[in-house]
Amino acid sequence: MFRAKIKLVYRQEISAKSESQFEKAVFRASYQEFLFKSQAYNPDGRFKSFSQMRENDGRANSLHYKLGFSVLHFISPLGNKMPAITDNVGDKISFETPRFELIESNIDDISQHRIAIFYKTAELLLVDFLGEYLLLSQVHNAENETAGTFVVQLQPNLSIVTYQGIANPQMA
Amino acid sequence: MERKKFLTAFALVAAAGPMIIDSCKKESTSTSTSSTTSDSSSCIVTATEVEGPYPYPGGELTNPLERSDITESQTGVPLTLTINVVNADGSCAVVANARVDIWHCNKDGYYSGYANQTGILGTEDYTGKTFLRGYQLTDTSGQVKFVTIYPGWYSGRTTHIHFEVYVNSVLKKTTQIAFPESINSAVDTSTLYASLGVNPLTNSEDSILGDSATDLANETVSLSGSVSAGYTGTYTIGLAL
Repeated sequence: MFRAKIKLVYRQEISAKSESQFEKAVFRASYQEFLFKSQAYNPDGRFKSFSQMRENDGRANSLHYKLGFSVLHFISPLGNKMPAITDNVGDKISFETPRFELIESNIDDISQHRIAIFYKTAELLLVDFLGEYLLLSQVHNAENETAGTFVVQLQPNLSIVTYQGIANPQMA
Repeated sequence: MERKKFLTAFALVAAAGPMIIDSCKKESTSTSTSSTTSDSSSCIVTATEVEGPYPYPGGELTNPLERSDITESQTGVPLTLTINVVNADGSCAVVANARVDIWHCNKDGYYSGYANQTGILGTEDYTGKTFLRGYQLTDTSGQVKFVTIYPGWYSGRTTHIHFEVYVNSVLKKTTQIAFPESINSAVDTSTLYASLGVNPLTNSEDSILGDSATDLANETVSLSGSVSAGYTGTYTIGLAL
């Protein structure tokens, strides 16, 4: 009795305070690339921060994807498993697509560099809501066949980003 | 990336964003000095060093964009470009160790890396993809080589390839190149590109490359080869250093 097809997104924010090896690697690599790629939007070095560059020239928003290329090779070893959250029994949650976002940075101050990675899942079947928990399935089982499910708790930085309702076959 | 290059990359970050550790902040009786000394116990600001490679299975990570072959799994007519970087303000001396970035669209006119692109396949999302992008550092001859496929085109632009050149980490040139229209047409009517067809926009009509006939002539790269054998060409990027 599936209710809907959904996709989840988890947003992992990374800053100078982040401690894991993965976070540090992404932080450093993206800052190094920021120093390179931001120059195209910083004529005569007039600006220090990403927000100043963006205010001056909206094309600076290209830095979101241009910096993303510099961190994909750190994301690849994750094996499409989200590094920061798990399901309710501690298993890592699979994602399909990572997206990089530059929150803020400064060419003179690495401590102001803040980024986020959005991990979007493949389409999941939302079986039910159990309070603040989502009962999900990754497989398309035929009706009356036992489905493998997992439970994810709704929490900060976790969101449902697509929803497609499915007519209840028992109600049809 | 070799270990040396990897460390250099992180040294650049360390230099750009110094994280100075004041090892004796609370001891106010000594006078701090920024000079180095052989006395490890004296009160000085500790020198900043690279953090070092991150341990991942398989060894040190390399930036996959530092590569000569940017094709990945994209199909198309093979294209090999040799890029020379010279200092056009001097005696045309070659510029070694310059970072040359390249990027262009695939045979269908789409770029890797971002979403909501419209074209002949409809609206496509290539977030998280890196195809047809890369960079190389020029060798002692000021040269890099890229192996790729001939770009397709998208509405409003002629067939083109983007370049950026950094010298000592400073952006010195952003530019684009075009190709002879006879070759564009031959490629765009070949099997893999047939759904795209010939671009109705000529090089001279292009709003970016066509704004100067002189510049366009300089930016149009001669190629040798054929659709079946692929094309090769050489282009020299002159910098005002």
